[in-house]
Order: sequence, then C-alpha cells, then structure tokens
Amino acid sequence: MHFRTFAGFVGPSVFLMLLFIAAPLVGVFLGSFQITQPVVEQVEVETCTPGFLTQTCTTELVTRPILDENGNITTTTEWVGLTSYIRVLEPGRAWDAVRDLDYNALMQIDFWAALRFTLMFTLVTLPLVIGFGLAIALAVNNVARSIKGPVIFVSLLPFIITPVVGALSIRWLFIGDGILTSALEMWLDRDLALFAQAWTIELMMLFYRVWHVAPFAFVIFYAGLQTVNRDTLESAIIDGASRWDRLRYVIIPHLMPLIVFVALIHLMDSYRVFEEIVGFSSQAHVISLQWLTYDFLQPDDAGNRAYSRASASAMLTMVGIVILLIPLLRRTWRDHKGAPH
Amino acid sequence: MMIKKLALAGALSLIAGTATADCAFENETEVRILSAAFEAWNAVTEAMAECGNVSAELDQEFRTKQPSAFAANPSLYHVGGVSNGTITPLMNEGTIRPLDDLVAEYGQHLSSNQLIRINGEILAVAMMVNTQHLMYRADILEDLGIPVPTTWEEVLAAAEVIREAGVVDYPLGATMRAGWNIAQDFNNMFLGFGGTFVNEDSTPNVNTEAGVRALEMMMRMTEYMDPEYLVSDSTYVQQQFQQGRIAMANLWASRAAAMNIEEESQVVGLVATAAAPTAMPGGSPATTLWWDGIVIAANISNEEAENAFRVAMEGLDEEMVRANNDDAIWLVPGYQPSPLAEGAIATATAEPAPLSYPSTSQMGLMHTALGNELPAYFTGDVTAEDALAAAEAAYITAAQEAGLLD
Amino acid sequence: MSDRPRAMRQPVSLRLGSAAFLAFWCLIASFPIFWIAVMSFKAPVDAFAANPLDVILGPATRAAGQGLSILDIAAGLAVLYLTVRFAMRWLPGRVAAWSPGGQVWAGWIIGGLAYGVAFVVVFLGVLPVVLGALNPVLGPLGKPVLGLTTVHYHSVWVENEFYRNFLNSLLVTTGVVIVSLTVGTLAGYGLARSGSNLAFWLLIVALVFRALPHSVLVAGYLPVFINSAEWLRPILGDNAPTLYGQPMAVIAVLVSINQPFTIWMLRSFFQNIPAELDEAARVDGCTHFQAFRWVIMPVMWPGVITTGLFSFLLAYNDFLVTSLLLDATNQTMVPAIAGYFNRETTTTDQVEAVAAAVSITAPLFLLVMIFQRQIVSGLTAGAVKG
Repeated sequence: MHFRTFAGFVGPSVFLMLLFIAAPLVGVFLGSFQITQPVVEQVEVETCTPGFLTQTCTTELVTRPILDENGNITTTTEWVGLTSYIRVLEPGRAWDAVRDLDYNALMQIDFWAALRFTLMFTLVTLPLVIGFGLAIALAVNNVARSIKGPVIFVSLLPFIITPVVGALSIRWLFIGDGILTSALEMWLDRDLALFAQAWTIELMMLFYRVWHVAPFAFVIFYAGLQTVNRDTLESAIIDGASRWDRLRYVIIPHLMPLIVFVALIHLMDSYRVFEEIVGFSSQAHVISLQWLTYDFLQPDDAGNRAYSRASASAMLTMVGIVILLIPLLRRTWRDHKGAPH
Repeated sequence: MMIKKLALAGALSLIAGTATADCAFENETEVRILSAAFEAWNAVTEAMAECGNVSAELDQEFRTKQPSAFAANPSLYHVGGVSNGTITPLMNEGTIRPLDDLVAEYGQHLSSNQLIRINGEILAVAMMVNTQHLMYRADILEDLGIPVPTTWEEVLAAAEVIREAGVVDYPLGATMRAGWNIAQDFNNMFLGFGGTFVNEDSTPNVNTEAGVRALEMMMRMTEYMDPEYLVSDSTYVQQQFQQGRIAMANLWASRAAAMNIEEESQVVGLVATAAAPTAMPGGSPATTLWWDGIVIAANISNEEAENAFRVAMEGLDEEMVRANNDDAIWLVPGYQPSPLAEGAIATATAEPAPLSYPSTSQMGLMHTALGNELPAYFTGDVTAEDALAAAEAAYITAAQEAGLLD
Repeated sequence: MSDRPRAMRQPVSLRLGSAAFLAFWCLIASFPIFWIAVMSFKAPVDAFAANPLDVILGPATRAAGQGLSILDIAAGLAVLYLTVRFAMRWLPGRVAAWSPGGQVWAGWIIGGLAYGVAFVVVFLGVLPVVLGALNPVLGPLGKPVLGLTTVHYHSVWVENEFYRNFLNSLLVTTGVVIVSLTVGTLAGYGLARSGSNLAFWLLIVALVFRALPHSVLVAGYLPVFINSAEWLRPILGDNAPTLYGQPMAVIAVLVSINQPFTIWMLRSFFQNIPAELDEAARVDGCTHFQAFRWVIMPVMWPGVITTGLFSFLLAYNDFLVTSLLLDATNQTMVPAIAGYFNRETTTTDQVEAVAAAVSITAPLFLLVMIFQRQIVSGLTAGAVKG
C-alpha cells in the first residue's frame, strides 16, 4: 500500500488522536516542568458579611492577584525543572522511610500510597478476572443450548451496566447497615463496619472490579471457545489426554492470544482505577494514581488548580503503565515482525 | 408538607417562555444563572424564571466551572450563586462587578444586612445564612433528664449517658467525610479553641495547641459515632437522624427541615436545634457562619447586567420567601423563623459570635490541605502533631505554587 | 449435544459442579441490579430499611395504598417472559426478513426501537388499565400483597424532565457510534493492509494513548472549550461558537478517546478478511478505496456491529467527559444521575436517583438482549485474534 493511500485511510483517525490526545499530552509534558503563578499583592480589605440581624465587618490583610488593564490576572511562568516531580515524589521523605524500614511512614506520602494500591489492585484483579472469565466461559459452554441465551445475557449485565450505577449499587448493599452488611453481621454474629477500615474497602473495590470486568473476559473467551478445533480435541482424547490435560494443552494455548488481549485491556483499565475511589468514597483510606492526578486538578476553595503537580503525577502514571505494558508490547512486536502481509 | 418534589435533576434549565403575573416586568433578554444545587437555590431560580427568558443551571460541579465560565469573554453566565467559600476566586480574578449603582436603582428593598461589602463596594447580595449547629433528639434528652449541652464537654457527657441507656445505635453523628467535610469540622473546632489558620505573612499556623486540642476533641467524639464516620457527609448524618439512629450532631441549618418530612423521617417533631456548643467555656460557638447570595458577571454589557440584576431581585423578593419559608434561614424581609431555626439564630447572635468563614485564598488552600491530611490521624496512622505538620507542609507547597509564599 | 463422542461426555459431578458455579455467578451478576430495581419502586422508608424483607415487601409503601396483587404479579411476569422470548426467537427472524439486503443493521435499529416502544406501551399503558379493571372483581387475588409505587419514576421522567437527558444521551451516543465507526473502519482497514513499520508504531502509540488517565486529558479541554469563542474569533469572525456545552464537541472528544480501541478491534477484523479478496479486486482495476467500498464493506458488518456496541457502551456510560464539558441544557443521563447525589439531598431524592439509575439501565438491557448473538458471533468472527 502506498504511503498516500495509507495516509488517506488513517488520516481522519490520526488527526483526531493528535488533536484531542497528543496535543493535550504535550501540554501536560511541558506543564510538568513549569509553574505558572499569579503575581500577588497584599492589601488591607474590609469585608462586611451578614449575621442574622446585623452585619459584622472585619478588616484583614488579604493576598490577591494583580489584574492587568484587560482585567486578566497577571501571571508569570517559570521553568522549574524537576521541582514538581520532587513535590509529588517527596524523595527525601520516601528515602528516610525506606532506610528506616518504616512502611507506615512511606504510606503517608500520597504518591507512594497511591502507587502501592494501584499496583496491588492491578495485579490482584488481573488473574481473578482472567480466571473467572475463563471459568464462566467454560461453564456456559457446558450448559444446554436452551438456556444458553439467558445465561449469557445475565452474565453480561455487570459489564454493560453504567460503572457509576454499578459501583453505587454495590455500595448500597454494604454501606452502613446495608442488607449484605446486616446479613454478614447475622452470620458472624458481630457488629461490622465495612467502610471503617482500609482493608475491607479494598476488598469491596476488588470485588466490584472483578464483578464488572469478568463478563468482558467471559464473552471474549466464550467467542474463542467456539473456534476450538474439534479434530485436535478428538485426537487428544484418542491419545488418552485427561480433561485437565485437554484444557491445559489444547484449549488454553488456543485461547492464548485472547488471554493476552484481555490482560492488555485489563492492565490499562485497572491501572487507571478511579471510579471505585469516588464510588466508595475511599479517599481517607486508599487512593489511586489517577485519583491523585484528579485531586490535584480539582480547584480548591481559592480557585487554584495544582496544574504542575497534576502534570507531573500524570507523567509518572504514564511511565508506570508503559513499564507494565512492555512485556506485552514486545510480544506484539514479535507478532508484527512474524505476521504475513 | 414542606417537601416539594425537587424539580431539578442535578441541573435543569427552566426556560419559561411565558412571563406570569408574579413578576413585576416582562424579561426580554436572556438571563443565564449558574449556582450550587440545593433547595433554596431551587426556590430562588424558580421565582426568577417567572420573569421569562431565564435559564438556570443548578450544578454540583459549579465550584469547578464557575471561575472559568465567568472569566470567559463574554461570560457564559450573567448571574452566579455563591457563598463566602466560593466567591473568593471570582473576587480574585475580578470577574464579578460592583453592584452599588444597581442596588441604588433596583434594590431599595434590600436590608443593609444583605449587602456584602468589600472595601465599601457591594460585590454580592446575600439571601440566606447557614451554619452548623447542634441538632438533638429532644425526646431522648428529656427522658434521660439531660439538659441541652452548651459545650463540647457537656455533649460528650450526654453522649456517655445516652450510650449507657442504649436508646439509639450511636449517640453522636458528625459530617466527617474525608476531604472538605472533615476539614470543615476541624475548622469549627479549631476556631472554637481560639486558633488562627495563617499568620499575617501567609505562613501556616495550625500545628498549635489549639489544633491539637481540636483534633483530640474530635477523636473523643468519634468514640460515640458510627465507625464509618470517614464516609459520612451531611446527607448521611441527616439520614441517620431520620432513621432514629443518632441522638445529637453538629449539622447544617439547611438540613433541619428534612427532620420533619413525613415520607422519609421516623422522628418527625422530635428533633430540636440549639446554638453550636462551645469548645472552651466562655468561648464562641465552635462553628462558622456562611452566607449564600448572588453576584453579577463583569464580562457582560451594562444593559445585560442591569436586566440580570432586576431578574435576580424578583427571585429574592418577599413573595418567594413566603412560599418557601422553611427552606433556609432567609435574610430577605418577610422571613418568619420556624422553631427549627432557633439553633441557627442562637448561634449567629451568640456572644462572642462565631466568625464568618473567611473568603481568602489562604483559607481555600488550608481547607484543601486539612481535608487531605487529617484523615490519617483518624485512621490511627499518625499522631495529631504529625497530621497537622503534614497539613502545614501540603499548605506550603500549594501556597508556593499559587505565589502566596516564596 | 448427542453427537458428542462418548469420551467427551462429562461425569455427573463435573456437570453439577459447573452448573452450580454458573448458578452462583448468575446470582452474583444480577443481584445488585435486581436490588436497586426493587429499591426504586419503594417509598424511601422501605427502600433504605435494614431488614431485607421490608425492602422487598415494602410495608410502608403498601400502607400508603400502593401495591401489587397476586394477579398483577402474575400478569406482569407473563408479559416480561413473553417479551424476552420474542426478542430472542421472533425478532431476529423478522428483522432479517424485512430489512433490505445488506442493510441489516438499519433493520436492527428500527426493529429494536419499535420493539422497545411496543413493550413500554403494553407494559406501562395497556397492562395497568386492564388490571385496574380486573383487580376489584377478583377478591383476595386482587388484594395488594407487595408494596410498589411508580411515583419516583413519575417524578424523574415527568416532573424532572429526565427525557431531555435521555434525548441528549441519544444524540451523543448516536453521534459517537457513527463517527467513531466511520473514522475507525477506514483507519482499521488501512492499518490491517499496511505492513509498514509506521503502521505498527501508530498502533503502539494508540495503545499507549488508550492507557492514559482520562482526567489528565479532560482537564486540559475545559479552559480551551470555555474560551473557544475568544480564540476562534480571529479565524471564524464574530460567529465563533463557545464549544463548552456543545454536544458536537463532546462527540469529537469521546470519538478521539475511543479511537485507539476502535482501530485495534477493527484492524483485527480486517486481518481476518483474506487479503486475496481485495487484491483480486485491485487486479481487476479497482483503487484501494474502491476495493474497500465494494469488496470489504459488504463483509465487514459483524465486526462493525461488535465494535459499534463497544463504542455505544463507552459513550452511553461516560461520566468524566460529559459531566465536565456539557452544561445543563445538553446534559446526558449519567452526570444527571450523579447530580442527584452530589447536591444537598433528601432521602426521597436518593430513591429518585435510584429510579433514574434503573431507567438508564433499561435501554442497555434491551440492547444486549437484541444484540447478544451478534456480540458473540462478531467476536468469534475474529475481532479478538490480535
């Protein structure tokens, strides 16, 4: 295919990605080395605010930005090198904690706590999602034709449901004296507060993510199972392979590309875990990397957004995901080199 | 009952094409409003919409959107709904206009109490006050012979008695959800212990005796609370009250009316309000005063601004207050305080009076820093001093980025 | 299954175990959704009651005079069962028969919509009227046993005008699916047929783009969109639009964010269409574009439908982008629901939010019911080989 034809085909797609993904990304990259701040002045200001019957007036020294003749805030932008990265990573404190083998102190630094949870979340859910997806696919493949349709339908529900709604529905089952908490309390005969400590919240988040994503793995694997070569299976039986051997040596290798595909998608999605933090309002106990970026970007009551630190944390997040993806990318590269065209 | 079906999903536009007789004039120019989403704003924007050509946006994201929407030229909205917490960025960026001329021409009926003056200039018109104050189950306190507590020590003593009597699941409730809420609870207590958040040179000043005492007092409160307090926001505490699961809480005045909604409350008529307890004997109530009101954008033409102000005045008239009397502690003439408003009024008129929540950049940064760092103390990971030191460090980083500190 | 060789038949223990596991999974998969559906029909006191029986039976709701009799329940279940059955058995055949050749997807859209409307009319329109007449006649069978009220749905859809959000969702979702597929099929085809390193690196970059946290990108859009009238003025003159709040702008953003996934999926599909097909066409004198139009397009529909479903889910379920970039008049359903929770709420609001949440799930139900086979067969056809 000529380059011009190729460009004609991929042009619109590449244009959109450049405009809406690459351009902001370059901005974020540059922004992580800069700090833009308003030029401020201190002035004495008298503020009168209402009480119930009469006003109270206070005079205080207030810092406020200087406005230029167009009414815009005067700002200065400086290149600050790695300052923002240092503010996010806090290497000094982190190193002290590592040297003293003080895990708790390390977890007091937001970035490292977020990294710990994000990695744990990604690596724990990955095998669970693949395992459950495969188990459901095998089980569904096993049931009678007549109920296959409804079973597939029900199995897909957690995946198609809007994530915000899904997370809330799980939350309602557990929060306060939600019915599942009550049920657990009856069963264990003790008072439970599932939202009161980190590990129970983490368990619920893991449960939610596996619940939400396993159907995706299921439907992909199920599709793959439909194309397993009958002849290979039958010759395996003739060779006396047990059920387990067939699964291990025929079915799994056949599904391997799909397992890689699901793993790839799941790694990327769970590494940017975010809805769970919001949905379970867990920020007091656990935070994730994307939530950290989001939190930097939320304007505080003074209207400031920590753009520089948000950019730095976003770049760090990106470096992390690229490192996680490298093994899978190498596989793709080998496939690409080996693929016939 | 006083509950009206909320007519708005998170945000909703009321494009009233027809002006009704309730409005003094027929509005010809479009007026767009962006405000927070709660019952009082609902009432006010509906009253404004009677003039026609009004589109109101009641949005939970307004805090994020308002500064940039008002900074656009022309501004995306004409009228903004703000509180003393959220007016700061608009004031700093100069995107709202002084209202002295407009008040002189169209706002003679406003009481001087409603006019928010900054250096003598009117920048906003307040419509209501809000504050966190003590709400308690009058029946329980009476049964157990407990007088209404006026200090936090008394609250804790009362909580002990209630716990021993075992009449509710948890004696206390508090809005201590990690983030904005827990920081606000700390602010209340910190001010109650006589603390000041920042020094004159913008350096932080919370890692002090007052800070530690405030945190320790809050920690003692948590013994009497639902252990899930780090996820409990105002709605959660309100529901705990409604379901009869708690007996006392320092809760927003704007939540009081919900206690008497028959469809959802099991404690109708049993909840009473009192002034926020003091942290120290003889101190001011450990709380802050808030106001909500309207501002007019700077980046619009004078004619549009004039028109928008007239429409806003229609929304803040006596008629609106009479129709929605219990939705807020209104500052608008015509308001008849209900029994549930007693606590808020007692708080606001206490001697010495609690401070208004300060509308400064430093406070905004400090509030965010506290909200992020204090939960670690309550999960037991760090000491009070360490949590406050971490909050100060976070504040310093943010203040350096905002150019407030070198 | 009787054609299975003897050795492939499974021992009873395995079959039982597998069936038990599946039953357990189905319970877990459907329970949370079932539960919010139950909550949405109850008075607030019942919906948040601690005792699960109270939530299901709804004593307070029944006390308020709203409930279902045994007859109501039986009739309702019958209609639901028939709906599902017809959707799976009868509808696919009808659609295939009635739609013009090659335009099956259009037939599905129209058929699905018509079917949905018919269901709503029968279930919410005809059924209550008929049962309302029957119930008083039947004595004990007609007495309410199950508390149930539709008042929350009424306030959501009628008083809160949730249908506006629904229409906005429809607009955004349709836009995203159409643009995404148009742009994506072209790119997917180009990438599948080009073995160049450039194509490979494009795919890798797209993969990295897909991994990016969205909050980073979205926060970058907000100031640009809000001020677009200002910076577009030199180019477009005084009619420069404010992009903030425009559904079109949101469609462009969602399409771009979803582009990496779309082109990867579609590339895999096209790789499974033998290259000989279009090469033969090109030998006959077609250009690449003509070969694509006349040879590939007729056979690519299974893949496009599957990919389209994923695009649909993304656009329909998106919260981050739509909540930040759309204003009230153009807001879609998901941010509208989140809005119920984030403002100062009463318990009634929360139950209304639950009702709204269930409402937005209903179209998804219908969609999956109808397209279920297409998803599986589409994936089997090869979307997932790469």
